[in-house]
Amino acid sequence: MTSFIQTLILGLLVGALYALMASGLTLIFGVMRVINLAHGAFAVLAAFLTFTLWKHLGLDPILSIPIVMAVMFAVGWLVYVAVIRHVRGSHVSMTVLATFGIALMLEGIMGFIWGNTSTAVRVSYTDASIALGPLYIPQVMLIAAGIAMLILGGLYLLLNHTWAGRAIRAASANEAGALLVGVSVATIAALTFAIGVSTLGAGGAMLSTIYPFLPGSHYQWIARLLAIVVLGGLGSLPGAILGALVIGVGEIAATSYLGAAWPVAVPFLVIIVVLITRPQGILGTRLREDAVA
Amino acid sequence: MRRTTAFRAMAGIAAIALAVSACSADSSNNGDTITIGASLPLTGEFSQGGLDTQHGYETWVEMTNESGGLLGKPVKIIVRDDATTQDTAVSNYNNLISKDKVNLVLGSQSSLLNIPSSAVAEKNKMLFVCPSCGSPDMYNRGFKYIFFSQQTVATDQAKVFAEWIANLPAAQRPKTAAYPTLDDPFAGPVVEGAEKILSAAGIKTVYKDEYPATTKNFDPIVNAMRDAGAEIVVQGAQFEDGVNMIRSMNRAGYKPSIVYQSSSPTYGQQYLEGVGEQNAEGVFFSSSYSSLAKTHQNAEFIKKFEEKFGGLPPEDAADGFAAGQVLAAAVTAVGSIDDQAKLADWLRNNTVQTILGPLSWNADGSPKGEFLVGQWQGGVSQVVLPTDVATSDKILHWQGGPI
Amino acid sequence: MSTSTKTSAARLLDPRLQTMVTRAVVVVAAAVIVLFPLSPSMSAQNTMIMTLVLAIGASGLNVITGFTGYLSLSQGAFIGIGAYVGAVLAIRIPDVPPLVWVPVAGVFAAAIAMLLGLVTYRSRGPAFVIITVAFLFLAQFVAIQWVPVTNGTAGLTLPLPDWPEAWGNWPFHLVLVTLLALSLLMTWAIRRTKFGMGLIAIREDEGKAGTIGVNAPVYKLLAFGASALFVGMAGSAYGYYLSFVDPISMFSIVTSALIVLSVILGGRGTLFGPVLGAFIIQPVNTFANDTFGGGNARLVLFGGLLVLLVILLPRGILPTVAALLEKARTKGTVGLSGARLNPLDRPLLPVDVKRPAPTGRTLLEVRGLHKSFGGNHAVDDCSFTVPEGSITALIGPNGSGKTTVFNLISGTMIPDRGEILLNGERMERLSPWSRAHRGVGRTFQITRLFREMTVLENTVAPLRDFSVRQLGLDAVSGSEAARAAELLEFVGMSAYRNARAGSLSYGQQKLVELAQVLMLDPKLILLDEPAGGINPTLIERMGDLIRDLNAKGTTFLLVEHNMPFVVGLCDPIRVLARGAVIANGTPEQIQKDPLVLDAYLGDDYLLEAPSKAKQAANVPAVERNPA
Repeated sequence: MTSFIQTLILGLLVGALYALMASGLTLIFGVMRVINLAHGAFAVLAAFLTFTLWKHLGLDPILSIPIVMAVMFAVGWLVYVAVIRHVRGSHVSMTVLATFGIALMLEGIMGFIWGNTSTAVRVSYTDASIALGPLYIPQVMLIAAGIAMLILGGLYLLLNHTWAGRAIRAASANEAGALLVGVSVATIAALTFAIGVSTLGAGGAMLSTIYPFLPGSHYQWIARLLAIVVLGGLGSLPGAILGALVIGVGEIAATSYLGAAWPVAVPFLVIIVVLITRPQGILGTRLREDAVA
Repeated sequence: MRRTTAFRAMAGIAAIALAVSACSADSSNNGDTITIGASLPLTGEFSQGGLDTQHGYETWVEMTNESGGLLGKPVKIIVRDDATTQDTAVSNYNNLISKDKVNLVLGSQSSLLNIPSSAVAEKNKMLFVCPSCGSPDMYNRGFKYIFFSQQTVATDQAKVFAEWIANLPAAQRPKTAAYPTLDDPFAGPVVEGAEKILSAAGIKTVYKDEYPATTKNFDPIVNAMRDAGAEIVVQGAQFEDGVNMIRSMNRAGYKPSIVYQSSSPTYGQQYLEGVGEQNAEGVFFSSSYSSLAKTHQNAEFIKKFEEKFGGLPPEDAADGFAAGQVLAAAVTAVGSIDDQAKLADWLRNNTVQTILGPLSWNADGSPKGEFLVGQWQGGVSQVVLPTDVATSDKILHWQGGPI
Repeated sequence: MSTSTKTSAARLLDPRLQTMVTRAVVVVAAAVIVLFPLSPSMSAQNTMIMTLVLAIGASGLNVITGFTGYLSLSQGAFIGIGAYVGAVLAIRIPDVPPLVWVPVAGVFAAAIAMLLGLVTYRSRGPAFVIITVAFLFLAQFVAIQWVPVTNGTAGLTLPLPDWPEAWGNWPFHLVLVTLLALSLLMTWAIRRTKFGMGLIAIREDEGKAGTIGVNAPVYKLLAFGASALFVGMAGSAYGYYLSFVDPISMFSIVTSALIVLSVILGGRGTLFGPVLGAFIIQPVNTFANDTFGGGNARLVLFGGLLVLLVILLPRGILPTVAALLEKARTKGTVGLSGARLNPLDRPLLPVDVKRPAPTGRTLLEVRGLHKSFGGNHAVDDCSFTVPEGSITALIGPNGSGKTTVFNLISGTMIPDRGEILLNGERMERLSPWSRAHRGVGRTFQITRLFREMTVLENTVAPLRDFSVRQLGLDAVSGSEAARAAELLEFVGMSAYRNARAGSLSYGQQKLVELAQVLMLDPKLILLDEPAGGINPTLIERMGDLIRDLNAKGTTFLLVEHNMPFVVGLCDPIRVLARGAVIANGTPEQIQKDPLVLDAYLGDDYLLEAPSKAKQAANVPAVERNPA
């Protein structure tokens, strides 16, 4: 029984971190129907930035989160203006190729700057854990989960209690309508993309302390993040959180009960099963298949 | 349709451009230098090992040139990056052999990359001395040109260690064992070989599993091993996974008395920094190399390596250097590089002295020999077995305490 | 335009000259490719082999992505699957030359592709792309885990080729060249048949394609199979060439991305575009690998290339070049859509054409239909009949649910409750194409033609009933095309047969849409506002066409707002308001019904007398005093 609870604890903690990282992806899809295949690469970039701040300034990763979030916000805005803006609204193949291209470029650039060897941030709480009887809670994961919930809470407040958030939700639901009521959809799209990358940045910062990473790690992350948003429902933020927790627990459980080779398959199996049986995911809405344009 | 005419025009122009580029033959080689070609994973998942091997090759080339070169000619080495991708390695070797027209080749790093690379060399009838060909799958293909420049293949690399554990007196011998291994043609067989010996000695296998190379989260695996109560952990690891496993065991407060990891601990300073000196204490590993051993050219190698790259040479660098030594021995003994089959035959019938000790081979190119067993003690990588070549007289539990 | 001397530029743009020149160039190019192994450069030969594999992959992808419009990122997986099948068979049955397994590998890959097609039945757009990515990684996972068959991460080593050394790479090269030729042949053939038309129809407008009888799921399944067949074969040959097959490189997503890049770069949907793209991408890839090493520079290069391509040249090279040439060629000329429809082009119908005697049977019956969207009950217990041989009208104020009723009848939507019977057979749960095959055709209020296809192609695309033979029928010439030409003649659009449908005016598109529907040989035609948004001359022609067809036995159900048109043309009229039928009857009865006048016309409306040529003696105009 303790083994099961331990599995649950580990799964939920890691799921919280996944939720933070997936929130940006689902937000971006919701507003501009862009599948951002570069999302994993942005996460790794944030991890590298955190590493640099830690290595050269001795800054603790938790403290560097605001800086990393700000930098990633700027990066997101830049990428949007340079590339995404041109393909928003185009056929899906264009957005997929464009974001995949960005991911490859980021991977190469990170390799140039930081090299291709495995990197990790090691701080005092990296290997420590809190013992609760026979169970243990890794400290770093607890901190990551806490920060994730904090930022997700902030995101929720932003979306539901500020004008910008309302504008984002409006543009997400009906772009033409939003334009008609005075929402500058172009700016909102840039803002959404930047926010999405920024929250991912916080996740990436925490990531640097938990898992080692190198520029090529982004592939694993994008598969997992896609599975999460598909499961939760493309465009739904609560769905992304739910999906992340399910997949977090699912991966840990798969290792414990099926074998170490299986967690890799969890994202793909989830994607295929969900898209066959319930394409809108758990909390997503079914798009109206109307004949009239 | 008007469109099709434009298409055809474009397709035609492209094909012609390709044709023009094809008509030029590949560049020929200058007869005054001996050029050696190799592909290495300088980027990607195995980049750590690739870079170390490259350093070993370069050190060997420099030392060889300083003492007059090979067959009186200076040696040049061309290294291409295969990004830990097999088909890039294949294409690299194809290019090195046919476009750059290298005189000799040396192997890549890791069995994964060398399995197809050796096939390219075999197809082109070129000698393939390989610093990193531990997988037993490489030697049942009937190849005649492949030679592994370490002491033994993967299945036997943990042999000395396992036999020593098996022969411990019952009070000190562990009762239960866990075997987590990387899904890799090299790491897997190492652990298989160890398990065979240990379970025959009555040590019960309570956990055994393979994890893919992309695994980053070892908490659930550690959890399972802890729940199973394994007293000894034998891990088939590459580098990063070994580091993560140790850290994960710490987090979980899981402390088996004996820990063995196949490759990770041989990465010297990188490993030490990765796990922390205190956690490296007592970790067993198999090693082909010890910097304290008094083997052929070892002192000069260490000196030159420290000069060029700083610090003691990690195992992969030493293996690279040894591969160079094997190649040089064959070439010098045969006296020419034109008939590489002759070089292969010479190696099959002779022993070569290297910094790893004496190396000799079976008919299929697999080496006959025994690996050393090392252990990290006080931040120094020591050889502990076989006792006659040991550089330290203590053998410790993980994280301290003698056995 | 001066006609005395052709300028040299005009001579260059002369289509005949261009065709000759490009034909010659293509022949030369093909010769170079076929004879390539004569090259003294081994590395160039190696690059050529990899380019051929990429070209075959791209050409195959063209069927599902170029024609059908479904972006698949799993095409590389079929190279891998083909390679594994070939390797496994070669190792287990060592006495047979491995190249013999090439066709087997192709068939296996096609079967797996069709399975993927089944899985993606409900997915479109972004969801489809995500599933293909998941499939790719899953295939890799299976290759890694199914150790007894695939040998896991250690990979499978094939025996070295056993032919004389002097043959070099010729066997591989010729096999791949043959496969590329076959793949191009297949693509060319598909493009010419009704199957190909259907695929492009699916790409342009999948919903509309359903209503003209295109059974999208089956079409997609076949397209998937076709896209993977030769790719699997190429994979098998490629694995043999490498002598080594492993799960990491055989299922790499970068390969799939390169294939997609080749298709997009060259121009998707074109015949030679993907091949051209492959012949550009692979040498650049090899060059980058050699110059910069396998690592970071190459990633930045390809990533940058992808991004630039998407932003600057989204249509690909060949279509962009073709468009530029077309622009240069047609400078100063007038587009076809500008020409006015001359109403005297067609003789007027004799005034006394007989209406068919009513048979008394009901062709279409709608019973208790319900359809809600969230809280909005668009159709609320709607029931009415359409007598066989009639021209029935469905009228009602805006928002009464008329288009929704049409959607429910044509199959574009499924009702929440209720029944729809055609000749007594229930069809409310049937797919749109099944209804089309049973003889139900419909037009759309906002015309939905396949914009990138020509008018003739649009008219040939509909499928009367499903059979493999039908799919294989030539669309460009032959019986189908002749029939389509006839129908275009009937509606008066035959001068436009080679014009791109997207370049027509609204009225012209409506006529073509009608011709499309007629291709189905329908029993019942649903017309959604046939007289809306067109000039009076065209309205008259519409009326004439409808009457002509009705005389030959077709039943019509119209939705219309143009009262004179309705009153002059239709006999039974059903009035829909707030989702239900509130009145039924002849035009005279409807005009007098107070419910109708209240709900629809408002009680201060003055009903005008209908146009002179028709309703001469029938109905006294009803006047009402303005309130």
